[in-house]
Amino acid sequence: MIAREYRDELRARAERLMVLLSLALVGLAIAFWSVQIMHGERYRELAENNRLRRVPIEAPRGLVTDRHGRVLVENVPSYNLLVDGSQVKNLEETVRFAAQVLSWPASELAPAAQRIKKGADYRPVLIAENLSLAQVSRFGVAGAQHPEFEIEVGHQRIYRQGSVTAHVLGYLGEVNASDLATRPELYEPGDLVGRKGIEARYDPVLRGRDGERLVVVDSRGRRLEEASRKPAEPGSAMKLTLDLDLQQEAARLLADHVGAVVALDPRNGEILALVSSPSYDPNVFARRLALEDWQKLIEAPHHPLHNRALQSTYSPGSLFKIVMGVAGLAEGFVSPSDTVTCTGATEFYGRRFRCWKRGGHGTVNLHEAIKYSCDTYFYRLGQRMGVDRIAKASRLFGLGGPSGIDLAGEKNGLVPDSDWSLRARGHPWYAGETISVSIGQGPVLTTPLQMATLLAAVANGGTRVTPHLVLGAEAPAKPLGVHREALAAVRRGLWAVVNEGDGTARGARLPHVEIAGKTGTVQVVSQATWTDSDTLPFEQRDHAWFASFAPFDDPTLVIVVFFEHGGKGSQAAAPVAKALYEHFFPADSTAVAHLGG
Amino acid sequence: MSTSSRPIQPLSPTSAASPALRALVNLRWGLLLAVVLLALIGLATIQSATAEMATGFLARQVFWVGLGLLLLLLVMAVDYRVLMDLSVALYAIGLAGLVLVLMVGQMRGGARSWLGIGSLGGQPSELMKLAVVLALAKYLSRTDQPFLGLKEIAVGGAIVSVPMLLTAVEPDLGGAMMFLPILGGMILVAGIRAKTLLALLVIGALAGAGLYFFGLKDYQRQRVLTFLEPGADLQGSGYQVHQSKIAVGSGQLTGRGYRQGTQSQLRFLPERHTDFIFAVLAEEWGFLGVAGVLGLYLLYFINAAAIAARARDRAGILLVAGLLSLFAAHVLYNTAMVIGLVPITGIPLPFLSYGGSFALVNFLTAGIILSVDLRRHVNR
Repeated sequence: MIAREYRDELRARAERLMVLLSLALVGLAIAFWSVQIMHGERYRELAENNRLRRVPIEAPRGLVTDRHGRVLVENVPSYNLLVDGSQVKNLEETVRFAAQVLSWPASELAPAAQRIKKGADYRPVLIAENLSLAQVSRFGVAGAQHPEFEIEVGHQRIYRQGSVTAHVLGYLGEVNASDLATRPELYEPGDLVGRKGIEARYDPVLRGRDGERLVVVDSRGRRLEEASRKPAEPGSAMKLTLDLDLQQEAARLLADHVGAVVALDPRNGEILALVSSPSYDPNVFARRLALEDWQKLIEAPHHPLHNRALQSTYSPGSLFKIVMGVAGLAEGFVSPSDTVTCTGATEFYGRRFRCWKRGGHGTVNLHEAIKYSCDTYFYRLGQRMGVDRIAKASRLFGLGGPSGIDLAGEKNGLVPDSDWSLRARGHPWYAGETISVSIGQGPVLTTPLQMATLLAAVANGGTRVTPHLVLGAEAPAKPLGVHREALAAVRRGLWAVVNEGDGTARGARLPHVEIAGKTGTVQVVSQATWTDSDTLPFEQRDHAWFASFAPFDDPTLVIVVFFEHGGKGSQAAAPVAKALYEHFFPADSTAVAHLGG
Repeated sequence: MSTSSRPIQPLSPTSAASPALRALVNLRWGLLLAVVLLALIGLATIQSATAEMATGFLARQVFWVGLGLLLLLLVMAVDYRVLMDLSVALYAIGLAGLVLVLMVGQMRGGARSWLGIGSLGGQPSELMKLAVVLALAKYLSRTDQPFLGLKEIAVGGAIVSVPMLLTAVEPDLGGAMMFLPILGGMILVAGIRAKTLLALLVIGALAGAGLYFFGLKDYQRQRVLTFLEPGADLQGSGYQVHQSKIAVGSGQLTGRGYRQGTQSQLRFLPERHTDFIFAVLAEEWGFLGVAGVLGLYLLYFINAAAIAARARDRAGILLVAGLLSLFAAHVLYNTAMVIGLVPITGIPLPFLSYGGSFALVNFLTAGIILSVDLRRHVNR
């Protein structure tokens, strides 16, 4: 009976089954050993990456102040709306609610909705910026039904002076592919970077260094706690050489015109005012999603984004007579007592060249030629010097090349000579052109900023300073080695322009501070007769220049005023300079006290 | 009729007293030790895995464990032959339960598998497995041949197939699959000729292929594909394996500490208190914890096999073999699953996974095995 049941066989088989199962268990233990011990390091790392997410801490951008510490740009908190894709229950409902609170058409949110849908990396998607406090609170109240909305507090750049300092400070824009490629250590996608002006030039200084928070997240990307924090290094504050009062006054005086003003200290090149008109409000760029405003600015008449002080080139007109006078005296082509008789028109190389004054200035020496801005005198001088010597002197004073200002986009202008003619135009220089160049017409082109450095060199006794906007920036000054007597003679001429009763800018005379300067009126279209430019259409009217310095004995301020199609230098530009000097050197105090800081 | 065919002598009070005491003293207590330790480890791990969840999983599982231990002792006291005599009735009740659950059952984990009122109830398929083991043990112990004949195999297959198919249509494919090791283990122990086994394997392979192409739903096929190429679908069904392996691997040798596992505590790990509870344990206790728990399962295996080896009759041996096979299949499949060695399917880990009826089945299993051991000397 017992034998027939084959119990022993069964028992043996049961033991073998157990051995089999136990071996499988041992095999599994080995597999766990492999996962936990042999590859444990890698899985530990994966687990850490799983749970830790990097959240950048935006570094507040450095403040920018004027030379007296008055704030020009600062940061204010701004509220941005983000949507956490992992929390969205019904995307349509989310979009509808957001559009309603923002009072946007739902179609504006379509691209954002698309990004939420695609967002597989659990990073919240930016929907809108600069929410009002009312909107922030509405999203806050809706938190229970709409946990997907997040409000992020960021920094927004506020340009306190708006359009007044626009061309100096520039603005910010989202980093582009080429920035990312050239400075990968500095920028990350989505960063705002300086796009123009000081913001662009000093971006690495101003931006600081973003910090980083490591936050613990759960499997749905919800932030639970902070694991570690690397604080942001705020950007450095910058003090500019600008004098806000002067800048504001210049902007005010230029407001309804097209033109530029540059005011600098001839002793060191510090720029006290730099204004280009028309201007724009850089605060519109503080919002990333401002395509429409951007388009409007690009299409606006007279190109407000353009900085006329250094990005536009113009014929220097009669301002060029300063270069001519200094070079002519210094190189002995003329002596202070030499005279020329001006009859109103003179023939050179078979062509009649008119003086601006119908009937002429009679017999004039250099002093009078500068004072009256007599063209005939300088035609003669130019004819004697020849274009190449004129070009050499011009370059010495910094024309035809960058001034070295700490702003990007500066134009070189053009100093023509015979080589240039062959190279650029493919034909020899015409002698007749030298006559035009002698009074700053013809191919010669300069920027208002170059004119300001020229005036600074004349004012400070022959040193070329580097104009600059950041206080304490490296700004090399280079003595030009120009004959001091020649400079002094020309300076006296410039003094006479304003301070003698028959000077072209006599209207700019101030009782308490002696201004020296030179007017310039640039013909935009050549005229056969002495036409009054004011009767022409805007684009054909003359450009108006006034380049000046003060006080005459110890110059501390150079002011160059340029009006595009503004008419006569004496009537349009000189009064602006006068008003600025009046502002800067108030009648009841001294210049030294004002510059104190 | 089965009772009469077997040589059972009635228990005489005089001869029973001392051998029964001896049997109790020399019981394979190791099995009970393993059960109690595993259950305690299970409670601790459930507490960690559900720390973030609001409702009292731990309290409910404590209740199930307490009830389970009670049932274990109760079943131990009942002669396993009585249970086998009841097997036909139990099998019928089980089938009724499986049919009922298909009609009025509640959805649990994508399958209509749960029967009950309120929170009281369970999965009929779990208890059905015990009825199947009892029925098979009863049926297969009838033969007096060294190897099973084709008829026995066919009838045995039928006993298993009916509840298995009913479970599969719930659809709970993983649960259905677990009927197979019962049959396999018991056939192997009861004896099968090599050529018969080979033929069965071929038929099984063909049936498996047919099932894959015609019987599986898309998501199930996807799981198989994911298993074959785990990296292909990390966001979808590969996600669970990926997160589970990260949890296990990051435990390294000593673990991240109790309730310190980032994968578990931060909810990266899916089904962490049920099917993936072993990953929680592996993450928080490291390889040492894994080896310790696997060691307890080994202790269970060894003791169960020893009980089979000294069981008093063919039915006892087969009964223990079937129960061991069922138990071991869950252990091996679940642990292999959390490290991606087999496709993911809802197979819980005995004594560790959260779940009422499953816990009861495991305690009952141990109780029946101990019941066999307690009666080893009877009529020897």
